[in-house]
Amino acid sequence: MPLINMPEFSGRLLDEFAGRGAARIDTPVIQPAAPFLDMAGEDLRRRIFLTESERGESLCLRPEFTIPVCLRHIETATGTPRRYCYLGEVFRQRRDGDNEFYQAGIEDLGEKNVASADARAVTDAVEIIASLLPGRALTITLGDQTVFEAVVRSLGLALGWQKRLIQAFGNTALLKQLLLTLATPQPVAGLSPELADLLRQDEAALIDHIDRTMQDTGYSTNASRSPREIAARLTEKLALAETRLDGAALLLLSEFLSLELPLSEAAAALAGFADAAGLSFGHALGEFEARVAALQDLGMDPSRITYRAAFGRPLDYYTGLVFEVTQKGSDAVLVGGGRFDRLLTLLGAVDDIPAVGFSLWLDRIEQARAR
Amino acid sequence: MTITIALPSKGRMKDDASAIFERAGLPIVAVGNDRSYRGRVEGHEDIEIAFLSASEIARELGAGAVDFGVTGEDLVREGLVDADRQVEIVARLGFGHADVVVAVPEIWLDVDTMADLGDVAADFRARHGRRLQIATKYWRLTQQHFSSQHGIQLYRIVESLGATEGAPAAGQADIIVDITSTGSTLRANHLKILSDGVILKSQACLVRARKLAHEGDLRIAHIVDAVRNAL
Repeated sequence: MPLINMPEFSGRLLDEFAGRGAARIDTPVIQPAAPFLDMAGEDLRRRIFLTESERGESLCLRPEFTIPVCLRHIETATGTPRRYCYLGEVFRQRRDGDNEFYQAGIEDLGEKNVASADARAVTDAVEIIASLLPGRALTITLGDQTVFEAVVRSLGLALGWQKRLIQAFGNTALLKQLLLTLATPQPVAGLSPELADLLRQDEAALIDHIDRTMQDTGYSTNASRSPREIAARLTEKLALAETRLDGAALLLLSEFLSLELPLSEAAAALAGFADAAGLSFGHALGEFEARVAALQDLGMDPSRITYRAAFGRPLDYYTGLVFEVTQKGSDAVLVGGGRFDRLLTLLGAVDDIPAVGFSLWLDRIEQARAR
Repeated sequence: MTITIALPSKGRMKDDASAIFERAGLPIVAVGNDRSYRGRVEGHEDIEIAFLSASEIARELGAGAVDFGVTGEDLVREGLVDADRQVEIVARLGFGHADVVVAVPEIWLDVDTMADLGDVAADFRARHGRRLQIATKYWRLTQQHFSSQHGIQLYRIVESLGATEGAPAAGQADIIVDITSTGSTLRANHLKILSDGVILKSQACLVRARKLAHEGDLRIAHIVDAVRNAL
């Protein structure tokens, strides 16, 4: 059944939000489409309802709340920290499930204490689900982009390779493929003898060659990538192609990605892993431990949470914590959340605004309640 | 039930399609004058020919408004969600060859594969303040190729309805996804096809709408066999 009316527990949910110090914010249902496609990628295009204004502006029905809430925050310039909550309809083209459904959640913008803001988001989300689904066994999964980045950095790979791996975090298939390439590097194809010659000379000659070709072909005026950028990446590419991750490092990386254990044991396991491998994770481990401590301070038992090292979201604005809650034995995510410190600046905020939040899938919660 | 076959309404595609039906023993005659958009098959009163534009044919097939159609595979795969569930490609007809390809400026010496493009796309926003832009009219095929097959998410599609090859030089987009048959237009515009940038090798096809009513209909089977045997 399509969920036309608000779920009956909406009022209760809004009380919960208010009790947790969040102020309700509303955003228009019709939104400019560009920020969503820019942030989440073109893959979203077939999953949203797109339309056009008379003047050709691309518009869509609100497919989620985080981006509209952040845009609203930037627009109203009310300063930080701010704790927003929302409850309303979102619209997505789904193969299974309805095309319109309700979401509610909290976005915590500008809280500088990252560990406690993270812990608060997880605790709020879990407590709200627990109160809506009393007595149900829940699976709480937590991942951390920062830890993965620290592991990759500490392996001493070329910067380009680090970027590729970090970019793929959360996309298991792509990550596997990259690791395979790292184990068996392929020579660079498609270089003409002239070009190979130029590459043996200095970079200035290469830049000059690219610049001249661009001018001759009338491409310069609108070229987005400059001769310098192309030359630099070509040099980098050749270096990367020769990079081979030694067997031991590759094994370490796969071993790390397969880590899955209670959060209460995770910090020690990560420290042990770093020690055994002779790696240093820098600040990442300290922040990880601080988050676990902050969770305990809020009364969350970390042994109830599963840390999965490979859990992440392959979008470049997610920066640290990711988490989700399901019923034990089910795949349906009831609430998902995470930290997105890069989103607000990407959307045009002048200052860096750290941000963390979560979103509840009210249709799935309603179904779970009915069962 | 009348069987409707949609054929391209003009150009080489129309002539080539008519020739195949002629060889298949299903000669097509226009109703009224030569430029009429209706036709019939000599000796088969229960078959109707509708002359439509090639992209409309894909759409009509998806909607089940026609039983068969002759159109490019590119248009079928671009125009229909889950094309193989909605239609069946009965025969590839050997004309109207065109590849849907990813092409980048020739001078992007560092970009030869989709993986290279992935690297460039990942850094693009940081370097240029916007996502990598792709001019195309094939947004569905582009997405499948970039997002599903190569895990590249960070790009923007700029819809282009014609002269797509000119978009990079004109500054409307950075790269293109377009059809090419010989590659000469791409070369003339200083674009190169990535080594793994062929998204689809397309040609004209006889396509059947998957309809329940077709099951056990001997006339349907006859048309399928006749066209296949004429190739």
